[in-house]
Amino acid sequence: MKKQIPALVSLLVVAAVLCVLPFVLSDYNVSLAAQVGIFFVAVLGLNILTGYTGQISIGHGAFMAIGGYTTAVMSRDHHTNLVVTMLMAFAICFVVGLIVGLPALRFSGVYLALVTFALAVSIPNIPNQYSTFLGGVGGVTSSEEVSNLWIYVAAWSCSALLFLVAWLILRGRVGRAFRAIRDSEIAAVASGVELPVYKTLAFGISAAYAGVAGSLFVLATNGFAQPSEFGVFLSLQLLIGAAIAGLGSLWGVLAGAAFVGLLPQVSTSVPVIGAEHGRDVIFGAAVILVMLLLPDGFAGLVARLRRLARA
Amino acid sequence: MQVNRRKFGALLCVLLATAAVAGTAVASHTSKTPGVSKHQIVIGGTFPYSGPAALYKTIPSAELAYYAYVNAKGGVFHRKIKDLTLNDEYNPAETVPAVKKLVEQKHVFAIVGSLGTAPGLATWKYLNQRHVPQVLLATGDAYWGKCVHRACPGAGSTSPKPWTMGWQPDYPGEARLYAKYILKHKPNAKIGVLYQDDAYGKNYLNGLKSGLGSHKSQIVDAQSYSVTDSGPVVGSHVVHIAGSGADVFVIFATPSAAIAALVTEGQIPNWHPLTFNNNVSANRIFMQLAASKGANPNGVISTTYIESQTAQPNLAGMKLAKKIIHKYAPALDDQFASGDNNLVYGLAVGWTFVDALRHAGKHPTRKSLMHALRTMTEKNNPFIYPGMSVKTSKKDTFPMEQLIFEKWGGGAGGDWKTFGKVLNSGH
Amino acid sequence: MERAETSPIAGLRARGGAIDGGSAAVVLLLIGAAIFLLVGCLRSTAFAQYTVQGLALGSVYGALALALVLIYRATHVINFAQGELAMLTTYIAWWLMEKGLSYWAAFAATLVIAFVLGTLLEVTLIRPVQHSVIAVVIVTVGLFILIDGIVNWVWGGDFKFMQSPFGNASFDVGGVAIRHQDVGMVIVVFASVVLVWALFRFTKLGLGMRAAALRPAAAALVGVRVDSMLAIGWGLAAVLGAVAGLMAEPSQIFLSPTLMQPILVYAFAAAVLGGLESPAGALVGGLLIGVSLTLIVGYVPQKYIGAELQLPLAFAVLLLILLVKPSGLFGRREVRRV
Repeated sequence: MKKQIPALVSLLVVAAVLCVLPFVLSDYNVSLAAQVGIFFVAVLGLNILTGYTGQISIGHGAFMAIGGYTTAVMSRDHHTNLVVTMLMAFAICFVVGLIVGLPALRFSGVYLALVTFALAVSIPNIPNQYSTFLGGVGGVTSSEEVSNLWIYVAAWSCSALLFLVAWLILRGRVGRAFRAIRDSEIAAVASGVELPVYKTLAFGISAAYAGVAGSLFVLATNGFAQPSEFGVFLSLQLLIGAAIAGLGSLWGVLAGAAFVGLLPQVSTSVPVIGAEHGRDVIFGAAVILVMLLLPDGFAGLVARLRRLARA
Repeated sequence: MQVNRRKFGALLCVLLATAAVAGTAVASHTSKTPGVSKHQIVIGGTFPYSGPAALYKTIPSAELAYYAYVNAKGGVFHRKIKDLTLNDEYNPAETVPAVKKLVEQKHVFAIVGSLGTAPGLATWKYLNQRHVPQVLLATGDAYWGKCVHRACPGAGSTSPKPWTMGWQPDYPGEARLYAKYILKHKPNAKIGVLYQDDAYGKNYLNGLKSGLGSHKSQIVDAQSYSVTDSGPVVGSHVVHIAGSGADVFVIFATPSAAIAALVTEGQIPNWHPLTFNNNVSANRIFMQLAASKGANPNGVISTTYIESQTAQPNLAGMKLAKKIIHKYAPALDDQFASGDNNLVYGLAVGWTFVDALRHAGKHPTRKSLMHALRTMTEKNNPFIYPGMSVKTSKKDTFPMEQLIFEKWGGGAGGDWKTFGKVLNSGH
Repeated sequence: MERAETSPIAGLRARGGAIDGGSAAVVLLLIGAAIFLLVGCLRSTAFAQYTVQGLALGSVYGALALALVLIYRATHVINFAQGELAMLTTYIAWWLMEKGLSYWAAFAATLVIAFVLGTLLEVTLIRPVQHSVIAVVIVTVGLFILIDGIVNWVWGGDFKFMQSPFGNASFDVGGVAIRHQDVGMVIVVFASVVLVWALFRFTKLGLGMRAAALRPAAAALVGVRVDSMLAIGWGLAAVLGAVAGLMAEPSQIFLSPTLMQPILVYAFAAAVLGGLESPAGALVGGLLIGVSLTLIVGYVPQKYIGAELQLPLAFAVLLLILLVKPSGLFGRREVRRV
């Protein structure tokens, strides 16, 4: 109980700040804060896969695409309530994640990274081929449009809810199994952890989270779901966010989400390099620097500080 | 206790950051007409400075040079024009946040000259809802001139877009002219088409079909490709078209694919179809690049609506263009001299905007700008082809509707030569 | 397929020459494919043209795959930035040519520059994080983004013209165009494959590199300078990448920052198909992928399988290989002992 008080305090503080922000920020900055919220959801999910279960995926942009298209198509064709489409995205991506997770069992480390990278690169092409249903290159537009504030509230509410869900999952048996797998697959198997079940589950959960983030992402892009939105760069952003988060404490995921959500936007205002190229140069350099300084992500920094404090 | 302290430190940082951001938000005030102040007008646009369409980046460079030229002469009613161009890499996912930034953070007066059909499709509703002019778009999609004052749900345009306007002659009009040419000069032709599989390419293809009318079955092979495809992949489509026996080859492709198509065509033995290249890829430097890699450009037909600094260097407009580029964008001198007519395009668009801005009055508002743009009769734009004009009215929502044919001659070092009369490509 | 080894290094030496039992089936498969292609080419000009184009495309994939294989074999790392690095070195070559160097002089100079660049990157960026797989992956990803940004910034995103090393003419073989540059490219890539294979098979350096990647602790004990081996591995891979970029440029028509991006995934698929540790496999894998994708797109009507599906198909191939025979066509099965 004693250990949980600081955690509870930080949670309440973050929640309080989030409630205050929309009143304090301009509308444009609210949209930026909403972007961070969207990445928070996605990074939270991916972090369960990479941070807790130790599997690398450079393909979660594909799941965001599936979630985003679900929302756009259901809204365009059936005028489904947007929140309902987000629930659908969650469910569909969970199932797809499980299916993808099954062959992923056979791979580990860099092989998995390779396969998921190929997934990220090829999925955006599929709507191009099946253009009647999926809109082709022009994409699918939802029938409703929402304000920046709506997305802010939706993104951060989902973040709060899904954070709670993640916490519940990870503190229990499932979480222990995940951590055991990350530390040593061989030892985990020896201790009776059914590898296939938990690895696949980790994939499914992270995919479901990415799916919800994808729905929000599409809504934030004026309701447009287009293949070019879900390119490789998006998957790279997610992985980078998860790596920065490290072991996925609240602050770590927040730091990761803020890094990938804000840095690309902010870096376009850099003077010397200019708006045209600032994003890639600054972002790429920042990613490398952060990894060199904090190879274990934010959580590594926390651990290091803790060790320093005790010494 | 250490844990708590660290977390409070982090909280402090978050609060400080919030305060800083809030502070900057408050500091930027919004005047009555956004973007217009006593000495300045701020406009913005999104362009592909990198990515698959990066070779169009000379267009915004030319526009910036033109505004610098106008500013040096005092600006428009003593206001200098400041153009904030952002890079969206031809990717609508980047266009949307960029446009939001321009409208909500930079409070621009208007979005001018943005490039790309897909980027435009992703943002027109947002801009029309906020009554922000989205004008002189660098795309010839007919979409921008249709269903402007009234929605037409059947055509996929679910709300009107009175704040949106194109500039260049539209793609279907151009394609219809090619169709008429084919029916006149090669009536029994077997036509092969390469087109980009998005709204831009389909716009062109549908225009060709409508121009052919009952003869559209003469299209024996229509191959689509994706803008992200590499050269060899596009080439394999050309091989397919050659195999279909076509003796007319129509290219509705953006420059990189068009060049790849021409190069592949040049390499297929015993195939010499009458070739049409859409004018968005007919820039002289593209043709020369293709020729240097094995294409045979002689006899390729296209159309144009702007002057050419290499084919018509003595026209007053081209001399002026040379001066402006040399003074305000000297890094582009070589580019200009080798015939990049994207530069002329940019200057022409800048000219139209400044012309409209002058007509918007001493105290321009977004509404007065739109009014000026919708009632234009611009006959003396020095950069567009002699004899052509930029005209709009309530009924006429397409500013430019004229084209003239041109044919390439002179091989790898050659150039386009216009032939025939100025034609109407309108509706 | 484990042999009793007196020392890990001796075991490596022995394994270098062994023939896998499954490889007879693979060879048969390849011979069958070759016969199929030959017959098809003789019967139809279009088929032949597609095959020729597919082989040309495939050798580009194979060239980049070779760089990936080299880095993997030497350092057990997949370098996601390999394509962008290749593109960067190609821009350097272009820049040298603009400054007046002849093509082959610029080519040679670029190879040297690439080597230096590769070793520098390994020492400064990869070595500090090599203990963590995910950190290495992220660093190479960051490098991917950074190099792309830098090239766009310094040279701009538009097209650059580069002379073709072998000219633009083609041989006309019975109605099928075979470009001089494609022939030249295949020869260059083939030569690279032979050189890399010889490096690993016959030289002490190659042996040292393989030892450093497989059993760094044991190798260090035997006197192999593991750190240098890793750096040299990156340097050589960068050289191969430069070759890949320079050979790819003519077939991609012009030089732009997106030069290698369409190639990267196919190169990965080719490397995995051939076996991540096999140089010959990289080339064969590339050729197979190039030819099969071109034929499929050429013959299956566009509404069923358009060019759009090439990438997903390549991904499906990748997945299938990894599921069925993870060591690829020419690789050896790795058995993990606990």
